[in-house]
Amino acid sequence: MKNVIRALRSERGWSQAVLADRLGVSRQSVNAIETGKYDPSLPLAFAIARIFEKSIEEIFDDETEAQLAAE
Amino acid sequence: MTQQTFKSAKRRYMRVFWPLMAIYTVIVLAGSFGLNQLDPEPKWLQATLAVACALPVIGSLLVMLRYVSETDEYTRMIHLKGFAWGGVVTTSVIFLVGFLQLFHVVEMIEVFWFGPLFFFAYGVATFLSGGRDCL
Repeated sequence: MKNVIRALRSERGWSQAVLADRLGVSRQSVNAIETGKYDPSLPLAFAIARIFEKSIEEIFDDETEAQLAAE
Repeated sequence: MTQQTFKSAKRRYMRVFWPLMAIYTVIVLAGSFGLNQLDPEPKWLQATLAVACALPVIGSLLVMLRYVSETDEYTRMIHLKGFAWGGVVTTSVIFLVGFLQLFHVVEMIEVFWFGPLFFFAYGVATFLSGGRDCL
């Protein structure tokens, strides 16, 4: 799932390790989510949204909805 | 979700895993050295040492399971993939070797070696799944 976590993190000058610490996850997890290799669970997605003070929809791009709309 | 989930799980894992490995090394080395000094080797002592050697390994497996249940979701997924691959590879080799033995193609192979095979397969699978920094 595409997302804007890398951009939001860069805006705040946070490294992946800093964001990982704030979320209580490994740096590897943050990297996997940022690169779209791993889709976070709903609780983790909410935690990410809370940290960046955004809604989940503002951070994650719902490709499924776009695909359904195209069909 | 609590803060420091990954770090605290890793800390708890390391705090128990390395002492267990140290105990295992000491028991294996001291046990085999001690038994060589005795002639004949008493059966009860052999059995006690065998169980004592296996216990830290069993303990480390349980600690790994605790780590997997306490860590973050991505790390958990990576390690569960590793466990699954470890299980699949080990079970496949057990069946293959078992049938080869049953049909008298190969001689008896020590059951002991399937343990290290599991850990090897688990390690390789975890590494390839991108988990080299998850532990």
